[in-house]
Amino acid sequence: MLSVIVFLPLVGAVLVLLAGGGGDRHDRAPAVRTLALAVSLATFLATLLLWWRFDGTSADYQFVERHAWIPAFGIQYLVGVDGISLLLVVLTAFLTPLALLSSWDSVHKNVKMFSFFVLALETSMLGVFVSIDLFLFYIFWDFVLIPMYFLIGIWGYERRVYAAVKFILYTMAGSVLMLIAIIGLAYAHGAATGTPSFNLLDLYSVHLPWRTEMWFFLAFALAFLIKVPLFPFHTWLPDAHVEAPTAGSIILAGVMLKMGTYGLLRFAFPLFPSAAMYFAPWIAVLAVVGIIYGALVAMVQPDMKKLVAYSSVSHLGFVVLGLCAMNVQGAQGAVYQMLNHGVSTGGLFMIVGMLSDRRHTRLISEFGGLKGVMPRLVAAFLLITLASIALPGMNGFVGEFLILLGAFLWNTKLAAFAASGVILSAVYMLWMFQRVNYGNVTNAKNRALPDLTPREWTMMVPTIAMCIAMGVLPGVFLRPIEPSVKRTIERVTGRSYGASARPQPPLLATLTSPRPDAQPAPPAPDARTARPGRPIQHPRPAGRERASSE
Amino acid sequence: MTEYAGLIPLLILALTAIAAMLAEAFREPGERMPIAGLGLIGLTGAAVASVALWNSDAHSMGVIRSDNFALFINLVLCIIGILTMLMSGDVVERERIPAGEYYALTLFALCGMMMMAAATDLLVVFLALEILSLAVYVLTGIRRRSAAGAEAAFKYFLLGAFSSAFFLYGIAFAFALSGSTRIEQIGEALSRQGAAEPSMLALLAVGLLAVGFAFKVSAVPFHMWTPDAYEGAPTIVTAFMSTAVKAAAFAAFARVFLSPLEPLKAQWIPMLSVIAALTMILGTVVGVVQTNVKRMLAYSSIAHAGYLLIGIVSANTTGKAAILFYLLAYAVTNMGALGIVALLGTEAKPHDELRDFAGLWRSRPGLAGLMTIFLLSLGGLPPTAGFIGKWYIFSAAVQEGHYWLAVIGVLTSVISVFFYLRIVVMMYMTEGSDAVRPRVAATAVAGLALAVIAVLYLGVLPTRALDLALDSISTIF
Repeated sequence: MLSVIVFLPLVGAVLVLLAGGGGDRHDRAPAVRTLALAVSLATFLATLLLWWRFDGTSADYQFVERHAWIPAFGIQYLVGVDGISLLLVVLTAFLTPLALLSSWDSVHKNVKMFSFFVLALETSMLGVFVSIDLFLFYIFWDFVLIPMYFLIGIWGYERRVYAAVKFILYTMAGSVLMLIAIIGLAYAHGAATGTPSFNLLDLYSVHLPWRTEMWFFLAFALAFLIKVPLFPFHTWLPDAHVEAPTAGSIILAGVMLKMGTYGLLRFAFPLFPSAAMYFAPWIAVLAVVGIIYGALVAMVQPDMKKLVAYSSVSHLGFVVLGLCAMNVQGAQGAVYQMLNHGVSTGGLFMIVGMLSDRRHTRLISEFGGLKGVMPRLVAAFLLITLASIALPGMNGFVGEFLILLGAFLWNTKLAAFAASGVILSAVYMLWMFQRVNYGNVTNAKNRALPDLTPREWTMMVPTIAMCIAMGVLPGVFLRPIEPSVKRTIERVTGRSYGASARPQPPLLATLTSPRPDAQPAPPAPDARTARPGRPIQHPRPAGRERASSE
Repeated sequence: MTEYAGLIPLLILALTAIAAMLAEAFREPGERMPIAGLGLIGLTGAAVASVALWNSDAHSMGVIRSDNFALFINLVLCIIGILTMLMSGDVVERERIPAGEYYALTLFALCGMMMMAAATDLLVVFLALEILSLAVYVLTGIRRRSAAGAEAAFKYFLLGAFSSAFFLYGIAFAFALSGSTRIEQIGEALSRQGAAEPSMLALLAVGLLAVGFAFKVSAVPFHMWTPDAYEGAPTIVTAFMSTAVKAAAFAAFARVFLSPLEPLKAQWIPMLSVIAALTMILGTVVGVVQTNVKRMLAYSSIAHAGYLLIGIVSANTTGKAAILFYLLAYAVTNMGALGIVALLGTEAKPHDELRDFAGLWRSRPGLAGLMTIFLLSLGGLPPTAGFIGKWYIFSAAVQEGHYWLAVIGVLTSVISVFFYLRIVVMMYMTEGSDAVRPRVAATAVAGLALAVIAVLYLGVLPTRALDLALDSISTIF
């Protein structure tokens, strides 16, 4: 079932190639578009079926498929979904048809190859989320870059080649070191048990010497943090976003950035718990800096697309902060916020794409007073904007609230700074919204712009519906996430909530009696990290055994 | 009879080469002869013979040992040869290369390479080295009217002669050490002496042999000839020699260093590690600034030699098998990439500058797509053969704790991706030059199709080839 979902888009991509005929045939373009859309919709329906049949009370991987692949090295084709990956899979399949729709009228150059790359990209992204074998994961992880590179480089805006090359080199440089860490980890497992293994579940039990664990964690974290992108590794993102075609931006912001945060939660933190606990405060500080920095930079952008790109830096900072808090609220909020951000930022990019299709510019100063011209489009714009700034009742609120709650339980100062990001996001988004939509029509070219077309309706309605549904009925989405998140947190922190306990947040207990910091300082910090003035003491729960065992 | 069984693939190729020469001699001027077809038949025969000999471990006259290791290299060489024959047809005619000599020399070179991979006596290694080198020197300068070709051949010849001298010196010292040129006896002598305090003689032997091999595999600082020779030679010859010579030289390199000289591991590993690191770094960094695609791929082949050296430095089972797999992966990939460059040349212009690739996507989408796959494989991106090869090599290094080599390896591959992507950018993202694109013959299409299928097959389902590679080394080291 999972393999079908993962490879259906790839099969579709090949079909698209065949259907497109030789060369760049415009007469085949409608057929190609329809075929690609049909394939992506079929994939989406399949993922809904997956969700339907998913057992939300279990923390285990479900729909597991296992085949020997390279047995000499313990590499398997091993895929499965748990609560964390399930909804990300659904999100991927949800956004891909929208991305295809968004480019319906704006992409004319070689539609065949465009659809091919979008569908190939979908396969690789789905593969990233369902891989349990690290080797398989890495293959999908790296392969993602290739179609995205072409999407940006061929169908992008003016500086597309620069952006595409920067994108691929930047993200590749981060991920190759992870490859070495993966190999090292597999051999560490081999040294302990006799057979190397790339199976994530086997590798969770590998105990590494502290130094090795630290280096491996840094290699993994670098790969994921560049992808997120965390400040100061974010510089590829504005370029890639701005130059990418609308479909590329939707997928990039909607799904690909989540691959980074997903990787942190799934791989980097639980595989190297001591190192994760040790470095989490620094990562959290960077996340908070990113939240505020991203918001401030977004505020002064003249280009709407760039504004949304920087807002992603800010929003993803929240996600990383929630993960670093390493408690159920924070992590659950982080996963939820990944989904939210996918939907709402995807929606924002759709809107910007619509405006840019109409006017061939994305500068805020070119617009103004659109409310009178395109009331329906502006209404949709407003709803998405509100979702993005986390208005209660919309999806963003639930995620950010949970994250801030989790962060507060962990470290009040960081949470306080992070909370200022919520306000700042309201500032930059609403200010942009006001300049674009309210006031008088200042630019004569804007007077006769058409309102939402039927195609655009079909894009906006599901997006907005999702924003509202996720805001009003968070339980539906949070329930399957919860057991898996708990198990992951347990893996990292060693504390146990008990499998059947309700998600009763130990909020009061935490407020009244801070968790004891009974553990000694992490063992053998090397010279580089042992400098004085460590910003935040990470509260270490009692009963953590990992650090002391080394 | 069994005495000679191990020679069968070699003899088949030698006879085919002689037949090609005779055919050329009897050819009326202007008559067209399917000499490439003859070569294909001979190569297929050699490949079949190699498969039949699998696991037989046939010794011949004490100096040739057709163990699985040699047979694996034989198969790689046959694949390279078949791809060369398939893609040569039109190119040879267009560039006015004398066909008979060209095919005969290619086959003789392959013959020498097979011998080199199977030789268990240093003198036979030297003999094989000379057979293949002489053939390749001539192939490099086979366009008699081309000044660049003559220069390339001359440079290659001079430096090659030097390296042969070094190599012979190494053999002499090894002989002085052990009283024999047989690999196993040298190994025995060395392990008898003990590795703790190696004699000066042993160190000299190791050093000089290493220099000889380093020349042939174009490792830094003995790489100087490579860019010029690769650029000056006809592109199809570049494709052939960048893959086949490398395969043969690395086979002998591995055989000599990983069995008889293994006791001196502690001495040569640091030296070769540094050479490997320098080779990777120089190959990629200098590759970045090239504007000629052939030259760029020449530097990339230097970098790939560096990756292969990691396999030798690791000196473990994984490393040995990784060398074999990498040679296979590199062979099909680079044959494909340089083959396309060769096919794009016209009579008037070689079309091997970077800007000549502009807009290839529009005029020749198929070729552009194939080229992209080959380049991605060279850069080591999944799901291609190049990725699995690199992963395998780096695994070997990590297994032995050579983390720094693996880190240099992956970082240089990222840099190399930058220059491979320059070609992709040209093909896809730059408006086309109105260069005349020649027609591509059906045989060449077949060759490219074979290469791309191999690249993707090895990238997605590498298990069989990996097992075969592991199986090949178990009989020898």
